[in-house]
Amino acid sequence: MSFDSFQSRSANSNGKSKRSFNSNSSHRTDGSGSGSGSGRKKQQTNQKTLGMAWGANSLSSSRSSTRKSPFTNFGSYMVEKNRKLRDQFEAEASSSSLGDSNSGKSLFHGVSIFVDGLTVPSSQELKVYMLKYGGHFENYFSRHRVTHIICSNLPDSKIKNLRSFSGGLPVVKPTWLLDSVAANRLLSCGTSKGALLAEGGESTKDISQCGGGSVFESGKHVEVEEDPAAAEKYIELKTSEPSSTDMEDENSIGEAHLPSPCRPSASGSSYCLDKASPNSRTDGPSNMCHSTLGDPNFVENYFKNSRLHFIGTWRNRYRKRFPSLPDGEKYRKRHANAPAACQRTSIIHLDMDCFFVSVVIRNHPELRDKPVAVCHSDNPRGTAEISSANYPARDYGVKAGIFVRDAKALCPHLVILPYNFEAYEEVADQFYDILHKHCNKVQAVSCDEAFLDVMDLEDGDPEHLASTIRLEIVETTGCTASAGIAENMLMARLATRTAKPNGQCYIPHDKVYDYLNELPIKALPGIGRVLEEKLKRSHIQTCGQLHMISKESLQKDFGAKTGEMLWNYSRGIDNRMVGVVQETKSIGAEVNWGVRFNDLKDSHHFLVNLCKEVSLRLEGCGLQGRTITLKVRKRRKDAGEPTKYMGCGDCENLSHSMTVPNSTDDVDVLQRISKQLFGSLHIDVKDIRGIGLQVSKLESAESCKQGNEKNSLKSWLLSASAITEEPHNTSSLAKKRADEEIGEQSVDGSSHQLINSTGSSYVHANQSREACLNQVSALPPIYHLDRGVIESLPPEIFSEVNEMYGGKLIDFMETNIDRRSSLSGSMCITSQVEGARNKGKRPLSQNVVHLSSIAAEGTSPETEAGVLGRNISAKLPVPSPETEKANQVRQNTLQEIQSLPVSTPGSSNFNMTTMGADQVDLMPASLSQIDISVLQQLPEELKVDILELLPAHRMPECSSDATLDPPREYCHEKFGKKNIANRLSGSESASENSIWAGNPPKWVGKFKASRCLILNMFSELYYLSGMTGLLSSILQRAFSMSSFSLDASPDVWDEAICSLFELLKQYIELKVESDIEEIYVCFRFLRRFTMKSRFFLQVYDVVLPFLQSSINECYGGYLNISNAE
Amino acid sequence: MERKDQQSPQEETARILVELLEVAINSIVFLKGIYPSGAFERRRYMSAVVHRARHPQLRDYIHSAVTGLRPFIEKGLVDRVAVVFFNSDNVPIERFLFRLMVNQSYRFRVEAADLEFSLRSFLMKLSVSESLTKVLPRGCNWEITAYFRTLPEARTSKEELWVPTDTDQWQQPPLITPIKSMKCESLSVQLYLEHPSVSEPKPQ
Repeated sequence: MSFDSFQSRSANSNGKSKRSFNSNSSHRTDGSGSGSGSGRKKQQTNQKTLGMAWGANSLSSSRSSTRKSPFTNFGSYMVEKNRKLRDQFEAEASSSSLGDSNSGKSLFHGVSIFVDGLTVPSSQELKVYMLKYGGHFENYFSRHRVTHIICSNLPDSKIKNLRSFSGGLPVVKPTWLLDSVAANRLLSCGTSKGALLAEGGESTKDISQCGGGSVFESGKHVEVEEDPAAAEKYIELKTSEPSSTDMEDENSIGEAHLPSPCRPSASGSSYCLDKASPNSRTDGPSNMCHSTLGDPNFVENYFKNSRLHFIGTWRNRYRKRFPSLPDGEKYRKRHANAPAACQRTSIIHLDMDCFFVSVVIRNHPELRDKPVAVCHSDNPRGTAEISSANYPARDYGVKAGIFVRDAKALCPHLVILPYNFEAYEEVADQFYDILHKHCNKVQAVSCDEAFLDVMDLEDGDPEHLASTIRLEIVETTGCTASAGIAENMLMARLATRTAKPNGQCYIPHDKVYDYLNELPIKALPGIGRVLEEKLKRSHIQTCGQLHMISKESLQKDFGAKTGEMLWNYSRGIDNRMVGVVQETKSIGAEVNWGVRFNDLKDSHHFLVNLCKEVSLRLEGCGLQGRTITLKVRKRRKDAGEPTKYMGCGDCENLSHSMTVPNSTDDVDVLQRISKQLFGSLHIDVKDIRGIGLQVSKLESAESCKQGNEKNSLKSWLLSASAITEEPHNTSSLAKKRADEEIGEQSVDGSSHQLINSTGSSYVHANQSREACLNQVSALPPIYHLDRGVIESLPPEIFSEVNEMYGGKLIDFMETNIDRRSSLSGSMCITSQVEGARNKGKRPLSQNVVHLSSIAAEGTSPETEAGVLGRNISAKLPVPSPETEKANQVRQNTLQEIQSLPVSTPGSSNFNMTTMGADQVDLMPASLSQIDISVLQQLPEELKVDILELLPAHRMPECSSDATLDPPREYCHEKFGKKNIANRLSGSESASENSIWAGNPPKWVGKFKASRCLILNMFSELYYLSGMTGLLSSILQRAFSMSSFSLDASPDVWDEAICSLFELLKQYIELKVESDIEEIYVCFRFLRRFTMKSRFFLQVYDVVLPFLQSSINECYGGYLNISNAE
Repeated sequence: MERKDQQSPQEETARILVELLEVAINSIVFLKGIYPSGAFERRRYMSAVVHRARHPQLRDYIHSAVTGLRPFIEKGLVDRVAVVFFNSDNVPIERFLFRLMVNQSYRFRVEAADLEFSLRSFLMKLSVSESLTKVLPRGCNWEITAYFRTLPEARTSKEELWVPTDTDQWQQPPLITPIKSMKCESLSVQLYLEHPSVSEPKPQ
């Protein structure tokens, strides 16, 4: 510090020539970077930065606000510097006055100006004026010294700020100064037309407007450069001049990088490597090109210059280059055969040393030992981020991700070079050529990083192999690589970390623990900033400490996956296999830098280009996708212009996606959909700061072409109708399915759809599908079939499966009658009906028509019904080989029976019950033997079919026909309730012995024995619902059978209600203390039943008072059952 | 870790329960939106997504309240813990109740992991039960209230955190909407909502 100032002061006192020599020598020192000189220089540059930062803090000028300095202690420095600057100014003034003595020398006597921001003429010219005419020029604002503030235009906020800050100092335009010179007298700044504030209308600085504004006159330029302090000012000006404003890449956001075409820079320390990279260095285009506003080919240029884009697309290039890459499957198998793998050193991890730098400087040996970084912009004041730095640079603390200006502050003689993508490609290709030459199991991690599995190689010593490969890499590419060798990928990678730079490291199995023990957790892959922070809070810094924690507690704190990963990694366990290359899940492009739109047209133009880019990438990968996602970054309401020039700043992310039926990579489709998605977001285009388009659900382009037809709606419709028209088609289709995988989905989809539309539950549709898929792969032996699944198959599928087994399935199912008579019984009927169907004698839909037409006519007397019923029951065993005519006749009679209840609305209650009893006598073995659940899953027409074959008196229970309701309603409203009330009081005593005790609970047996169908059903449901012992699951099961009968037949009405009341009452007593949630769920179900069923309405009404009083007793409140809906 | 062995099952149960209460109350307060959602941060507790108050004072209130209850929960003295939301007139609008029953005669070792796993369901259920709750009017406040089976005799320092509530009570028995119940051998927890009954005189 003191040395610096001494140097400058002595220079000043010695006059002009000495000064210019000084500045030259400092540049030279930079270039050679030798010894102590470089260190000193570095310090000086630091101080320059400081000065700037001070300006930023003391003045809220637009450009200074973008600068932040990590330094805080600069007060004393500034005092010294200001003094120095004044000295210099005075020296200069005296010399200039010597040069051309001017009459108006004292024109500006007593005037001290401070120039804020960009002005025309530039502050340097103004300074010269001040020099000539006896005024003062302040580089830094000071309330005490400055008398006038000069600026061209200011934003409103700054005007306010400056007013309060300047304490009422006049703020004037530079024209005031010029006018004064022209008039050769000091004009009043208040009345002059140069007074800025008087005009007031000047608004925010317009970048494009300023673009051409700044003019440097070469003659003055030279003069300026001779003055170190002024040179600094010059650099600052350069920064603020838009055409030289640096371009920054958006490292944090990911995919997209836009390195600017670099411009020749004014800063002396920058190297120009035009020869090495002819393409990447072009003369800077106008500022307009750096945003979407000015450049019609913005998207294209953007990605052309993006490093991340290079890395991202490199993989596809790699795949194309090494298409014969053995797939991961093969590796896995081999590994499975070699369990000893974990004991052997088998993995080499190779990583090029600072790839992006060393490739660029490989042909510049003179740069090898100098600090070099790669960045798309070398503007020393810029906020562009360093992409990669070599090891000498890293010694200064320069690392990837920091801003160029910070890097320059750390290391002033840092050489910043642009990317050279062609060279990268070339070297990466050479790198992989070498790897593939030595080893056939290569997993590419990135363009400069790969894992080799060398376990199977003859050359036994992996260390030797690694050094051979490394040597070869150096010889071929001129760049060095480091290698880590260990037993798994994790340890190999960690070993490389130790090996770097240009070395290799071997971690044998028994050293793993020692190595990990002291390793900071941050070094483990997968531990990022957030996780590290969390672990630190739990006082975990090293893997050794992590070791102490149990897997369970890690999983509790960090989630199952992360917890397991931490546990494994802290022990050096890594089960990943080399060669398992991840599938591409999505392909897209995103631009978050330089995105500015004025109107909808701009944004659409941008979208079109983005679509082109994405489409090209899809094509490049040979993939097509179905889901298109549009991501938009929208400026937050309160966010101003971002710190980073043209960056995206504080944004909210919006995204919308759409899935199309056919995979596509077509530009037009992408454009259409992206525009649609864009429209659906309803954003002001001016607020958009970034747009990304992504295509996922990828399929390879070839299979898409084949699959397209199958997936299309047309084929879907065709296949669906084919199935309905002719049942045989289903099976034929299924066979086809076995042949071609692609067709699978469409056929499945349609059968799925069919099942759904016929009213069976979703779960079963799924099961059937599962079964179908099983069939596709290979027909399993019949005894391997899960009976439960077969039983619940919808009949179409069942028949289909049956056909595949050559009809043996029915037999197979029938042999199990003993097990569950009821089930197999129903299956028999189903299959028989199936048989009829398959013969195609009559389309099912016809039945429905018949039924409805006949039902209207039915007026037969009861006796006849009984007789007919008997007839039919006799016929039951042989229903299948009937002719169409016989069927119709039978149908007629059945219909008559079915309509019985309708025909006797006038009959008394008494009659009704006796009639019911009669029927029970007539048909002893009937529907009760049929598994209701199977019946429920049958399609509607089939159900009707089966019900036709069954005794008539059961019909009301399985029918939801509204016409059946009135008589029952009548009967139960009138006489049922009284009876029940009586019975309920009687059953009080019986509740002593709990019916919920035991497993299965007692009521199950009791209900099964009951002659009331609904109670039978409940006991059946107990088993179906998985025997949880929870009433809610039983009710849920009942509820899921949508068309299930929820009413009891009149004869057993009272009994059923009493039984259910008892069931519920005891259940409430059982659960009220500990589980009102369960009770609540049950009663919500019951409440829903009441909407459909009179029977349950009565049950509900009877139980509710008991429930509420129990709850009140326990909880001091009432259960909120009704209000919740 | 060794601590566990010396603990009685009740202690262990209470420890876990108090932890759950703290997380659950944080989640409830988030759910009710009484503070801006920015005042909460997403966290993972037993791999369930929960929200925790960012503000140290709020977090502290919840933490100290439930931690203060711990000795009483352990002894089975706490019947219910209520999170009461009331309007500016101190009339409760909605109450979340945790009904606790710690089995005092349970003598076996409590498997912390198992218990935590079953308690996790409360958090899951809570996160989806917003539809059951009422929208709070503006200017609402809330508090944690504990109902004791019997008033504790021994005056411990921790107890001083608890003061008698001045929130009004409802005149009519409230309507109960259960959210979640859990019962195991050592512990039974029920979470339910209470809303004023329809016949409750409207506060004017």
